[in-house]
Amino acid sequence: MTAAEIAGKVGGTIAVGTGGEEASNVYVGDLLSDVMGHAGEGCVLVTIQNHLNTLAVCTLVGCEVVVLCHGRPVPPDMAEGAAREEVAIVVTPLSQYETALALSSLPPSPKK
Amino acid sequence: MTIADVTKILDGKLIAGDATSPRAVGAVVANDLMSDVLLHDEDDILLLTSLASDQAIRTAHIVGAMGVVIHNAKPLSETMIKVANDLAIPLVSSPLAKYDACVKLHEAFLAEERG
Amino acid sequence: MPGATDMSEYSPVILQGQQTNDDEILASTPLDAKALGGESSEIIMELLQRFKVRDVMKRQVISIPRSATMRDAQRILRDNRISGLPVCENGRLYGLVSVNDIIRGLDGGWMDEPCENHMAKNLVVLEAGMPLAFALRYFNNYTYGRFPVLDSDRKLVGIVSQRDVMRALLYELSVEIRKLEMKTSSKAAKVEQEAKGNFFRREWAVVHNDLSRAGHAANAIKGILRERKIDRAIVRRVAVAAYELEINICIHSHGGVIVLLISDNSVKITAKDRGPGIPDIEWACRDGTSTANDWIRSMGFGAGMGLSNSKRVSDKFEIQSEVGKFTIVQCTFELPKPDGAAEGGAQ
Repeated sequence: MTAAEIAGKVGGTIAVGTGGEEASNVYVGDLLSDVMGHAGEGCVLVTIQNHLNTLAVCTLVGCEVVVLCHGRPVPPDMAEGAAREEVAIVVTPLSQYETALALSSLPPSPKK
Repeated sequence: MTIADVTKILDGKLIAGDATSPRAVGAVVANDLMSDVLLHDEDDILLLTSLASDQAIRTAHIVGAMGVVIHNAKPLSETMIKVANDLAIPLVSSPLAKYDACVKLHEAFLAEERG
Repeated sequence: MPGATDMSEYSPVILQGQQTNDDEILASTPLDAKALGGESSEIIMELLQRFKVRDVMKRQVISIPRSATMRDAQRILRDNRISGLPVCENGRLYGLVSVNDIIRGLDGGWMDEPCENHMAKNLVVLEAGMPLAFALRYFNNYTYGRFPVLDSDRKLVGIVSQRDVMRALLYELSVEIRKLEMKTSSKAAKVEQEAKGNFFRREWAVVHNDLSRAGHAANAIKGILRERKIDRAIVRRVAVAAYELEINICIHSHGGVIVLLISDNSVKITAKDRGPGIPDIEWACRDGTSTANDWIRSMGFGAGMGLSNSKRVSDKFEIQSEVGKFTIVQCTFELPKPDGAAEGGAQ
C-alpha cells in the first residue's frame, strides 16, 4: 500500500512526501512509547500526534507513512523533519477508529 | 453490543466493573490522548486506548463512557482497577493492538446489522 | 470639616491617633489578592467605585504656611517621618515641600528662605468625591507617593497615599470575603439568601505533578452535578472543562485549586494557580499548541487542547494571567430555568 493509496482510502491529503512511500501493516497509537514498543516494521502509523517526536519514533520503528487524524495541522518543524527522513505525512479529517476501518477496507457502518 | 460482548470479541478479560451491564456501545473512540477523547460528545462511548493509567478511567467517567479497553495486554495497576470500580467503569484488558480491535469490533457491528 | 487643618502660625498640626495597622490587617486578611477568583475581582471593582477618596484619606494633615522656612519644613518632615508637606493657609493650598526640595535646598544653601520660594507649585491633586478607581489611576500615571485632596470649594481637606488606599481596600475586602464565605458556606445564610438564590461552593486542591490524583476534582464535580439532576449534556460539558483545567494546573503550574460554584442559573468552574503564568494567552488557547514535555505526553496529555477544549464547552470563558505570578481561568455554564420544564430531554 503506498502513501497515495492510503490518502485515497482515508479521504486525506499528502502534506509531505511523494506518495510512493510504502506500508504493509497498520498501527494506531498516540502514545509514542507505546508505538515504539509495539508498532511493526513498515507500518502506517495512525495518530493524533502532530509533533516532531512522532518522526523520531517513525525512524526508529521503520515507518514510512504517518496518518494524522482529525485534520491536525503539520507544524513546520515536523514537515521539515519528515522531508529529510523521507516519511510521508497524510492528513485526514477522520478519527483514529474511522481511519483504521478505512484502511481495513471494510464497508462503512452507521456506527461510528 | 454490551461490555460482555466487547470482552469476547476482543479476546479480553473484564478486570473491573459490572460484567452484566446492559449498556450498549453507542460509539467507538480509539485514542490515547485524553484531551482528544474529551472532544467527543457521543453517548455510551467505548474507549479503546493504550493509556494504562487512572486518567483513562477518569476521562471515561467524564464523557460518560460505557467501558474502557486497554490494548496489548498492558499490565494494569491496582489503583487503576480501584478507580474503575469506584467510578463504575467496566475495564477490559485485551491482547489485541488497537488497529486489530477496531477492525474486529467493526466486523461485529456489520454482523449485528445483518441480523 | 473644612478649616480643621488651617495653620495661622507655623507650628504644625500633628497627626492624631492615626494608627497604621497595615501589617495587622495584612496578616489577618485570609487571601492572596492576586489569586482572587472572578466573584472577588467583581467585588474589587465594586469597592473601587463605591469608595471615594474621602473615605480613605488622612484628614489630619500636617501643613505649614508660606512664610515658614525650608529648615522648618525639614524639621517637620523629619519629626513626623513624612515625605511631603503641603503649604497651606486658611484651607487654601499653595504648594508642597517634598524631601527632594529639601535636598535641593541643602545643596543650594537656601534653607533659611521661606518655603514659598522653593516649594512645588504645580500640584496634581485629587478631589474628595472621586472614586478610588480614579485615585489608583493617578498613582499609576504619576510617580508621586501621595496627593493632596481638595473639596469642591478647592480647600485642602486631606492627603492620601498609596498606603492609605491599600489599607482601606484590604480591610474592606476582608469584610466582603467574609460575607461571601458566610453566604456560601453557612446554611442559615443560605436560607436568608433564598430570595436571591442558592449557592453551593466547593474547592479542591490540585498538586503539581501528582497525575495519579489529577481528575479527582472533575470526577467529584460530575457526581455532585448528577446528584442535583442537572441536565446530562451540561454535566458533561462542565466535567470536561473541570478535568482539562485540573490537568493543566497539575502539569503546568506550581499548584492551585479548582472551585465549583453552583447558583440557580449557572455553574462556574474556576481554576486558580500560583504561576508560572502564561506569556501568550492567545497562543495558549489555540488548538494543538503545547509546551508539554515528553513525560506529560507519555501520560496521554499535552496535546495542546486543554484550554481550547475548556473554552469550547463553556458558555463564557475568561482567562487572566501574569507571568511569574498566577493564572485564573473561569468557565461559566448557564443553567435552564429551574422550573423542571427542561428536565424531560435527559434520559
